[in-house]
Amino acid sequence: MRHGLILWREDELSLADVTARQVRLQQAIAAAGLDGVLIYTNHVRSAGVTWVSGFTPYWSDGLVLVLRDGLPIFLTALSKRVGEWVKSVAPTFEVAHSPFPGKLAGERLAQLGAKRLGVVELDRMPGGVVDEILSVLPVELSDATELFTAVRGKADRAELDLVRRTDDIAREAFKAGDIKGRLAGDFTGPVERAVRLAGAEECYVAVAPDLSQDRRFIRTGRQELGRTFAVRLSLAYNGVWVRRIETFSAVSEIAARLASVSAELDRVSPAFPANGSISAFRLPYGAELIDWHLEAPHGTRPLKVVADAQTPLAAPVPYGILTTAFTLDGETIVASRPVGLGDSSMREAAE
Amino acid sequence: MIGEIRKKRLIEAMLEAGLDGLVLYGNAWQNDYLRYAADFGILEGEGLAVVTRDGDVTLYLDDELEGERAAVECPEVKTVVADDLIGTVSGVIGRLGNSRIAAGPKRHLPYGLAAQRGDLRFEDATALVDRLLMVKSADELNAVRSAARLADEGYAVFRNAAAVGKKDYELIAEIESFFRNEGVDDNFMIIGVGGPEVRGMAPPLGKILKPGDLVTTELTPCVNGYYVQICRTLVIGEPNEAQRKVFGIYNDALEAGLAVVRPGVTAADIARAENDIFRAHGLGEYVTSEYTRVRGHGLGLFPDTKPHILEDVNTVIEEGMSMIVHPNTYNPEIGYFVHGDSLIVRADGPEILTKTPRELFSVGARRIAA
Repeated sequence: MRHGLILWREDELSLADVTARQVRLQQAIAAAGLDGVLIYTNHVRSAGVTWVSGFTPYWSDGLVLVLRDGLPIFLTALSKRVGEWVKSVAPTFEVAHSPFPGKLAGERLAQLGAKRLGVVELDRMPGGVVDEILSVLPVELSDATELFTAVRGKADRAELDLVRRTDDIAREAFKAGDIKGRLAGDFTGPVERAVRLAGAEECYVAVAPDLSQDRRFIRTGRQELGRTFAVRLSLAYNGVWVRRIETFSAVSEIAARLASVSAELDRVSPAFPANGSISAFRLPYGAELIDWHLEAPHGTRPLKVVADAQTPLAAPVPYGILTTAFTLDGETIVASRPVGLGDSSMREAAE
Repeated sequence: MIGEIRKKRLIEAMLEAGLDGLVLYGNAWQNDYLRYAADFGILEGEGLAVVTRDGDVTLYLDDELEGERAAVECPEVKTVVADDLIGTVSGVIGRLGNSRIAAGPKRHLPYGLAAQRGDLRFEDATALVDRLLMVKSADELNAVRSAARLADEGYAVFRNAAAVGKKDYELIAEIESFFRNEGVDDNFMIIGVGGPEVRGMAPPLGKILKPGDLVTTELTPCVNGYYVQICRTLVIGEPNEAQRKVFGIYNDALEAGLAVVRPGVTAADIARAENDIFRAHGLGEYVTSEYTRVRGHGLGLFPDTKPHILEDVNTVIEEGMSMIVHPNTYNPEIGYFVHGDSLIVRADGPEILTKTPRELFSVGARRIAA
């Protein structure tokens, strides 16, 4: 569940920012000849609704119905008491309550005489919700994932600023970790505390406890740390997700080298385009690339692998998280950084 | 070990029901069905477990990072990462042919999975799995007891962190840091800060604790997949007379509910016992859905599992269930108030799991946040 700070922060993501997104989606809906688009959300599959409204449910689920015009409607089984909280953190849609939100969506669509409804990730929509809609209205359902992805793929300035801010929180939080700790939890506990004190709404921490043995990440805090280890911080702030991986060592000479590599990556990564290529990415001198992948928001998923050495990027993404694994001076290093935040990306987003 | 025990129970239930296969869906919100079969605590993306009557379990995940983690954290389970989760699992099920396959939980099962099954339709596995989730084995109950210890310790951390000037989300930062150090996988937690204007709990809103505030929380740590909850309310400063009086009513309601718990009663009986205390004080209006959701609920691999403790739920309480009784609701004089303890249902009554004293805790108004 989400239980960090969830707030409407007009100075970071304004009503005008969100309205502009809604208008872009509504234009695409009309161009596709649809009466509306339905987007599902729970705290795992939150990204679609968060983008179109700024809202993430802390618990339970809901639907956002975006019609050709007017305010989107958030349909939820959450109580009216919780509805007051929803309105306080997302003044961007109408909130409608029903124990059966799909049925309520069907009723609203029937009132409009709707015939064609697009559904983002139709295959993944909970079957019970689809049954509820169709029990009220025999509407034609079609998959609207491509339509949504095309609109969503263009970043806006507010989003890219939030990515930078979220990454700043992650970078600062890593400083709280105790690299001389014996167990993973000795390092990750203070890091998570720092992330949450900075006002993040969610934080997942994972550790590759001994990079000389295994590069895979696990969640346990009870694992002993090896000579070099990596920590993956996945955090959400104001609806934007960032992952940052840093590699650490308790051995001072190695630690100094790792800090230098980290600083170098911080310098080059933001400007690197989120276009699914790595050919021009600047690894530290002498490094040998082992593996890489690019993650990005996709549909209802906050972050999903969208490209790697075998798979090219299929559609533009608003920003990316590039993860690289490489060897340098005999040590394995894993690093993740946001990409697609350079000046040209920011200019395009502002337009 | 505990995963093997669950798998054995699941296969036995399948055989008893004459099923050839089970398809169980899960995500980090509703993970209980998936975890029961595959023993994986999914965090990102979605998963499906396919279980066959000969005991074969395969976990299908759509997230590469989660697939990597599953391979390390539960190596005994076959894991397949598939971006096209629905197409992949549909193909697997299709190869099972015209056999009896049930799927669940019904409401959350992805639409595409049922659509691709076509005329062969899934049977509904919801009741079969819900029963296994509710009535637990001895090993599962031991896991629940372990989580209870951390619920108590977590609440002590929460109490110690509360101070004038502290923000609500800073309290949660302390708790989460403590839980990560203790190996707690997850924690369901909501909070309320203030007085009569507070009508419920939610994620933190950045409220600053001040003298006279009630600070309510549900704390629900998860250890090895099993959740246990504690609900308590504390006051910043000395409780006033109204707060003390209201605490007495909620404490009586909690004790009345707990006194009823034993095998053979219904969820409704427990709810009625709690609510009768409110009605006796002229507060009957505040036990309706306008002001409160449930009067308790089951606990296990989901923090809000069946049975829901409500006056219209006639689920029979059985030995081996774990649940919380919590008469949480709004009070017009002092605001939203919570008070509840987790328990295991034993033949002779409830085994109370949470040991934090049932009192209205007070944090000195002079304790100022650093």
